[in-house]
Amino acid sequence: MSQKKQQMQVEQKVPENVAKKTQRDTKLRDAVAKRRTERLAANKTRRAQWEKSAQAYEAEYKAADKSLVDNLRKAKTEGGFYVPAEAKLILVVRIRGINTLNPQVRQTLRLLKLRQLHNAAFVRVNKATIEMIRKVEPYVTYGYPSRTVIKNLVYKRGYAKINGQRIPITNNNVIEQSLGKVGIHSVEDLIHEITTVGPHFKEANRFLWAFKLRGPRGGFIAKRRSFINQGDWGNREDLINDLVKRMI
Amino acid sequence: MTSVPLVSVFSADDSTKVTAKHIPLPAVFQTPIRPDIVSFVHTNIAKNRRQAHAVNPQAGMQHSAESWGTGRAVARIPRVSGSGTHRSGQAAFGNQCRKGRMSLPIKVWRRWHRRVNIKQKRHAAATAVAATGIVPLVLARGHRISQVPQIPLVVEDKIESYEKTTDALNFLKRFGAFEDVQKVVSTKVVRAGISKQRGKKYRVRKGPLVVYFNENAKLLKAFRNVPGVEVVNVTRLNLLQLAPGGQLGRFVIWTQSAFAHLDKLFGTYRYASVLKDGYQLLRPLLTNPDLARIINSNQVQEKVQPAKTTKVLHEVQKKNPLKNTKAMDRLNPYAKKQRAAATAAIKANTKGTKKIKKNKALKKASRAAFNKVSAALNDATKAAVQEEQDIKVKYFSVQKGAAQAE
Repeated sequence: MSQKKQQMQVEQKVPENVAKKTQRDTKLRDAVAKRRTERLAANKTRRAQWEKSAQAYEAEYKAADKSLVDNLRKAKTEGGFYVPAEAKLILVVRIRGINTLNPQVRQTLRLLKLRQLHNAAFVRVNKATIEMIRKVEPYVTYGYPSRTVIKNLVYKRGYAKINGQRIPITNNNVIEQSLGKVGIHSVEDLIHEITTVGPHFKEANRFLWAFKLRGPRGGFIAKRRSFINQGDWGNREDLINDLVKRMI
Repeated sequence: MTSVPLVSVFSADDSTKVTAKHIPLPAVFQTPIRPDIVSFVHTNIAKNRRQAHAVNPQAGMQHSAESWGTGRAVARIPRVSGSGTHRSGQAAFGNQCRKGRMSLPIKVWRRWHRRVNIKQKRHAAATAVAATGIVPLVLARGHRISQVPQIPLVVEDKIESYEKTTDALNFLKRFGAFEDVQKVVSTKVVRAGISKQRGKKYRVRKGPLVVYFNENAKLLKAFRNVPGVEVVNVTRLNLLQLAPGGQLGRFVIWTQSAFAHLDKLFGTYRYASVLKDGYQLLRPLLTNPDLARIINSNQVQEKVQPAKTTKVLHEVQKKNPLKNTKAMDRLNPYAKKQRAAATAAIKANTKGTKKIKKNKALKKASRAAFNKVSAALNDATKAAVQEEQDIKVKYFSVQKGAAQAE
C-alpha cells in the first residue's frame, strides 16, 4: 500500500472524482467570498446613508419644534393668536373586546387594523377616516401622537406585515425589502414618513402590523363613558400620549 | 459487462489444490439482491408445510346451559342446568367462562396455505442464490466462514460419491466449514415453550447447505447425520433452505456440476432459462452503481442548481432597541452619536454648579445650642419627677400618722 502511495506521489495523479470535486469546491468558495465582500461593501454605504438621513430628520424635527415655539412667541408679542395646523395623524387604540359587537362596528374596526383589545394603529386624518372613527368611537380612544410615542411604538412594538406574516423589525433589511422601492430604507425613514404623513404614508402604514399594546399601568378611568364625561372612549387629543406611554 | 467474475473449483482432497481455475460465475450470482421479494415469498411459502388443526367443535358446548335471565341477582350468562353437582348453576358457553368454549374456535377449513406467483418464487430463489455468493451477507446471517477459502465455495464432483460420514466430516474440516458445524452443535438448546413436549424439543441452527447435481449421489447419506448440514439437489433448490427465516446468505457448498447447471436452470442475461419456461433473470435498476462517479460527472453537474443558502430575513429574537444599544445601533447608526451628544449635554449642564460645602462653624454652634436645650429639658424633667415623689411621700406619711393616731 505504501508502495502504491509512493507511486502516486511520484506520478502526481489524482482520482478523477476528487479532482473535479476540488475544482468545483474552490469555484463555489471563491464565489461565496466575492459575494461576501460585495455585500459588506454595500452594507457600509447603506449604513452611511441611514445615518445621514437620520441626522437630516433630527434637524428637521428640531426646526419644526423651533418654528412652532417661535410662532407662538411671535403671536404672543403681537397680541394675536397662533393656531398650529390640525393634526394629520391619529393614533387609535381599541378599548373594547370582541363580544357583542354591532357588525358594522366590527367591520370598521377590522378595516382600521384593530382586531384585538388594546391594538393600536396609525390613521391618516381625512373625511373618510374621520367618518370611520366616528362609527367606532365608543369602542376606541384616539388622539394625536407625539414624536416620541411614535418612535417608541415603532422601535419597541414594531412588526411588519411581510407575505401575510408578522415579522419583527429587527434590522433594516426587513424594511428595505418591502419599502425600498418607495424610498424608505431604514426605521428612521419609516418613523419620519409616519410622523410627517408623507407621500408614501399609505405604503408605510400598510407595512406596519397593528401595535399590540398591554393594558395601561394604572388602568382606565371608565371605559363605559366618553373621555369628555370622565371616561375613556373617544377623542382625547394630546392626552393619548400619556395613555399609550402606560400601555407600551 | 466486459469482465466476468471468475471462480475456482477446489479439489475435494486438498483445499489448497485447485482443479479448475477461472470458471465464470453463473449469471444468477449477478441478480440484484431483492430482500423485499425474498421476505414476501418466504412468509407465504413457509405456511405451505402446515398441517390443519382445530379445536373440538363441541368443546365447551356440551351442556344444556341456559341463561337465568334478569331478576335473580346474577349475571345473565348461560348457566349449567340441573342440580346435584358443583357444576350446576355455573356459567357456561362463553369465552370468558371457565370451561367455556373459546371465542372464534379454530376450524380446519382455515386457509393454511398460500399461493405465490411463480415468477416471484423464481426471482426469490435467484436472489437467494446470488446472496450465497456475497460474503458480508453470509457472515451477517451468522455463518462461521472465516477459514473458507472462497465464497461461493465450488468443489469437484468427487464429494458426490462420499458414503461415510467420516469422509464428509473430514471434507468439511479441510474446507473450514467445520467451524459452522461446531456452531450448530454448541448452540443446540432446548426449546422454550410447550412445543418441546410436542416433538420439537431442540432448537438447532442451520449450518452449510451442500448442493449436488447427480441424482445417484451417495453424499446425501454421508452428510445426513452431520448436525446442521443440509443436502439438496440443484434442480430442487428451496427458498426455505437458501434463505432460512427469510434471511439471505446461507453458506452453500456447490459441487462443480451443480454450479455449472445453474446457468441452464436460471438462464443468463443474454438467454432465458432453459429449464424454467420463459423465465428471465431480474435486471438491476442501476447499471452503473458507481454513485460518486455519476454525481461528479459533467452531465449531472451541468444541470445541478446551486446549493440553497438559508437566507434569514430577521433575527430570531426581537430585542428592544430602546433598551438594547446593540439592537438600536443595528437599526439606527446615528443613535450612537445621539447618545454621546446627550451624555455630553448632561455633563456640560452640571459643569458650572459647585459642590455645597458644609459650614463647620455653623454645625458646631448648632450642636452646642442643641446640647444646651436638651440639658435644660433633662433638668426640668428631673425636677418635676422629684417634686411628685416628695408629694407622694408627704401624703402617705400624713396618712400613716393619722392611722397610727387612731
